[in-house]
Amino acid sequence: MNLRLIAALFLAFGLLLTVDSSVAQSAGYGQVQTSSDQVILTHSRLQHIIDRHWADSTATGAGKFQAGITVDSLRDMINEAVRDGRARHNTHGRPGTIYEYDFQRQIGTTIDGGPATRLRVVVSNRNEVITAFPF
Amino acid sequence: MHLDYRLNEDRETDWSSVTEEDLRYRVALGNLIFHIGDKDFSADWGWIPLVDLAASFAEIVRKLEGGSPSETFEFTESDAWVRFQRKGDKVSVSTSYGEGAAEIALHSVAAAVKSFRERLRSELDRKHPQAAHNPAVRELLGAA
Repeated sequence: MNLRLIAALFLAFGLLLTVDSSVAQSAGYGQVQTSSDQVILTHSRLQHIIDRHWADSTATGAGKFQAGITVDSLRDMINEAVRDGRARHNTHGRPGTIYEYDFQRQIGTTIDGGPATRLRVVVSNRNEVITAFPF
Repeated sequence: MHLDYRLNEDRETDWSSVTEEDLRYRVALGNLIFHIGDKDFSADWGWIPLVDLAASFAEIVRKLEGGSPSETFEFTESDAWVRFQRKGDKVSVSTSYGEGAAEIALHSVAAAVKSFRERLRSELDRKHPQAAHNPAVRELLGAA
């Protein structure tokens, strides 16, 4: 069973069973929010991250998370980056805020295949994660 | 300067409800084709949001024309970038993923970006008629 399939199973079932999560259904998609002061990672945005940035993703030119990183650990990293990282406005009219945080350990690979220790998270003005990737 | 794109096939998007965030990150994806002289700054990653790129490049041109000394386009799904540095009436273009830099007249960059936006808008309107009535598309690519 490959990592993408495992991730898809997490997507379908795992998040709903996570004890520290509150789950709300609205507007046709599920929302997972670990607490009221943290960012929201919807199922569709999580799938976007898995498609582009999971260790077994075939997308080129995109940073990849290290094999073994789970949906739960991804969510923890996103929240840590938003809480402790450097924030800046999104660029050239794009909506939202960019957060960047250096974990001081390898979390994935860069587009060149080198070790990536930093995470960039883009968060919308509705406090929803748009994308997140290592670099 | 050759600035062009290749738009991926897309039969799933409901163009009547596409939002700015969709256009900036998730729809109208494809490749960037970008040559200046013998320098190739193309990016054939297949996931580049082309409407976002067109709108961002247009904003960069506007800022350079307004006197900004340097503007950087950041790709949405990596730390890759394209940098435009003003040098008088010319612009030096470099990228994080290609070697070297190339200089070109600012008015040539402006014309290429304008043409890029117009061709992309025309192709989207032709392939997805609902895009022509979508306010987010109009906002980012300009009115026909």
